[in-house]
Amino acid sequence: MNTEHIAYIVIAYFCYLPIALGLTWYVAHSLFRNSIVFMKDIFNGREEIALATNTLFRIGFYLLNIGFALYILKIREPLSSTQTTIEALSFKVGGFSIYLGIMLFLNLYLFFRGKRVAKQKRLGYEMNKRYNNPGPQQ
Amino acid sequence: MNNVLAYTIYIAITLYLIYWIGRMCHRNGRIFILKLYRGDAESTDTINNILLLAYYLFNTGYALLRLKNWEHVLSVAQLVASLSHHLGLLILILAVTHYFNIGLIYFLSKRHHHFTS
Repeated sequence: MNTEHIAYIVIAYFCYLPIALGLTWYVAHSLFRNSIVFMKDIFNGREEIALATNTLFRIGFYLLNIGFALYILKIREPLSSTQTTIEALSFKVGGFSIYLGIMLFLNLYLFFRGKRVAKQKRLGYEMNKRYNNPGPQQ
Repeated sequence: MNNVLAYTIYIAITLYLIYWIGRMCHRNGRIFILKLYRGDAESTDTINNILLLAYYLFNTGYALLRLKNWEHVLSVAQLVASLSHHLGLLILILAVTHYFNIGLIYFLSKRHHHFTS
C-alpha cells in the first residue's frame, strides 16, 4: 500500500465521519423534538417524568447510532482512484442511512405502543373505579 | 510511536464520554428511582450516587482493559480506523446497557401502577 492509496482512504474517512455524525444528529433532533407529544400523552401530562424519559431515549438513540457509525467506518478494499473512493463512500453512507431509517421506525413503534398501552390502562382504571364505587345518582 | 497518539485520543474521548453520559443518566434517572421508592428522597439519592460510582468504575475499567491488545498503528488511515473501531464498540456496549436499563425500569414499574396511569 503506497502513500497515494493511504491518502484516498484518509479522505474517505474524513468525508464519512461528518456525514454520518451529522445525519445522526439531524434524525435524532427531528425525532425527539416531536416525540415529546407522545411522552406527555403516555405519562398523562406529567411534565417532569415525560421530559426525563424523552432525554433517556435520546441518549440511547445517539449512543446506538454513533456507536454503529464508528464501528463500520473501516474500509477494507484498496482505493486506487477517485471513482473507487466515491463508490466505497456512497456504499457506506447509503447503508448507514437505511439503518438509520429502520431505527427511526423502531423508535416510532415503541412510542405508539406506549401510547396504546397507557390508553388501555387508563380506560381499565376508569371502568374499575366506576364499577366499584357507583355514584350516588346511579 | 503512533500507538501512543491513538491511546491519548482514545482515553481522552472515552473518559469524557463516560463522565458525560453518567451525569445525564444520573440526573434523568433520579425521578424513576424516586417513584420506585415511593417518594423517599433520602434513600433515592443514596442509591443514585452509589449506582453512578459503580457505573464509573465498571466503564473506565473496561475502557482501559481494552488498550492491551490494540493493533500496531503504522499510518494515519490505520489510526482513524482502529480508533473508531474501538470507540464504536465501546459506545455500542454503552447503548445496549442503556436500553437494558430502560427495559429494567419498565418491568420493575409494572408492579407499581402509578407510572403511566
